[in-house]
Amino acid sequence: MKRKSLLISPELCIGCRACQVACKSWNQLEGTKTNNRGTFENPPDLNPALYNKIRFVEVPSDKNDMRWLFVSQRCMHCDDAGCMKICPSPGALYKTKEGAVVFDKDKCIGCKLCVAACPFDVPRYDRNDKISKCTMCADRIAENLAPLCAKTCPTGAIKFGDRDELIAQAQKAGYQKVYGQNDLGGLGAIYAFKEPPKFYGMEDKPQIPESVVFWHKVLKPLAVIGLGGAVAASLLHYAVVGPKKDKEEKKDE
Amino acid sequence: MSKMITKATKFEIINHWILALSCLFLALSGFAFLFHLEQLNAVFGSFATLKVLHNWIGVVFVVSLLATVSHYLPVALNLSGDDITWLAKGGGYIIKNVSLPEQDSINSGQKLYYLAILGAGLLISVSGFVIWLFPASKSMVLLSHLLHNVSFVIFAMAIPVHIYLATIANPGTFRIMVQGTVPLEWARKRHGKWIKRMGY
Repeated sequence: MKRKSLLISPELCIGCRACQVACKSWNQLEGTKTNNRGTFENPPDLNPALYNKIRFVEVPSDKNDMRWLFVSQRCMHCDDAGCMKICPSPGALYKTKEGAVVFDKDKCIGCKLCVAACPFDVPRYDRNDKISKCTMCADRIAENLAPLCAKTCPTGAIKFGDRDELIAQAQKAGYQKVYGQNDLGGLGAIYAFKEPPKFYGMEDKPQIPESVVFWHKVLKPLAVIGLGGAVAASLLHYAVVGPKKDKEEKKDE
Repeated sequence: MSKMITKATKFEIINHWILALSCLFLALSGFAFLFHLEQLNAVFGSFATLKVLHNWIGVVFVVSLLATVSHYLPVALNLSGDDITWLAKGGGYIIKNVSLPEQDSINSGQKLYYLAILGAGLLISVSGFVIWLFPASKSMVLLSHLLHNVSFVIFAMAIPVHIYLATIANPGTFRIMVQGTVPLEWARKRHGKWIKRMGY
């Protein structure tokens, strides 16, 4: 199965947020209260009922007072996903064969470690203390349908397809470096950025927190080696030196 | 039969086993979280249950740990040159029949073990409570997750050694945590300083 991806092109986005509405519709997510913060960007942040949000970025412009960049913010479906790495509950987070990182609320134990380990600040918790985030519409993909955000997008700012093909398309369209092409083993949501990633409110080099990598690579094996080593050393001592007995001590006295 | 003296009180013994059993459960569930040991579902049903038990037995663990302070901390902190000598000679565990400085109610190795368990135990408890109760602070959760696992490694290495030294490596020791009494002569050899202090 070829890895599927979403290709997001902020230059094509008109900020209509039909994707936000469509996402709620397909995933049966309730509405959330918006508020006026002096921007059309609403709701202000991802929440348990908002898997996909258009970030409105205002940047300087030569021609006008300012220019708007619209960036779809959502789960990036990392190949090397920090949330999956740190999750203590088997099966709560898993990857579909198309490469989407999805969750099973029944197996989520509500520890929220995934929130701390995500390089993109994506996972949210619903009122039952279960993880909630974009699934790339894995249920639709399984039926050969495009995720609803991509299907709804009127301008092609969100495209869905085979990851390799999408990257080739973006490169053909003049985007030398596709954001997320190689980061974290390759993201499942890749971006055709004209400007440096910082412009769009993205990290230059997104990474799993170092402490999580250290834990995974060093502390986890060390716990097993430490336990095994301590048991082995004890048994070896018993076999080679043997227990302390009063009789032997008396010889010395 | 020689004269028996009390080495551990009933409270000390019961508390020790509460601490030991909670610690073993926490370590087992900890390994399950680290390595996704789904086999434990046969016993506990689900990882959600395991997490609730892990959290609340953690409370039992820390209360029990704090209850040990009055038993062992003053002695454990009473370190002197004798302790260095004892440790340098490996406590008689490496070369047998070396002469060792007289020991208090717990020997130099036990002092270090207690200080390590108390330190790592407080660290693992505090970091655990942060993960449990303050998940909103990402940097605190990441730091706590790291410290929780560092102290877990200390426990994984220390516990088997403790079990070994307190059972088959030292015949006659295990009864301290069952009956609480030991023969006077046995104690005189191992805890001379304590025996003198107690006036036997």
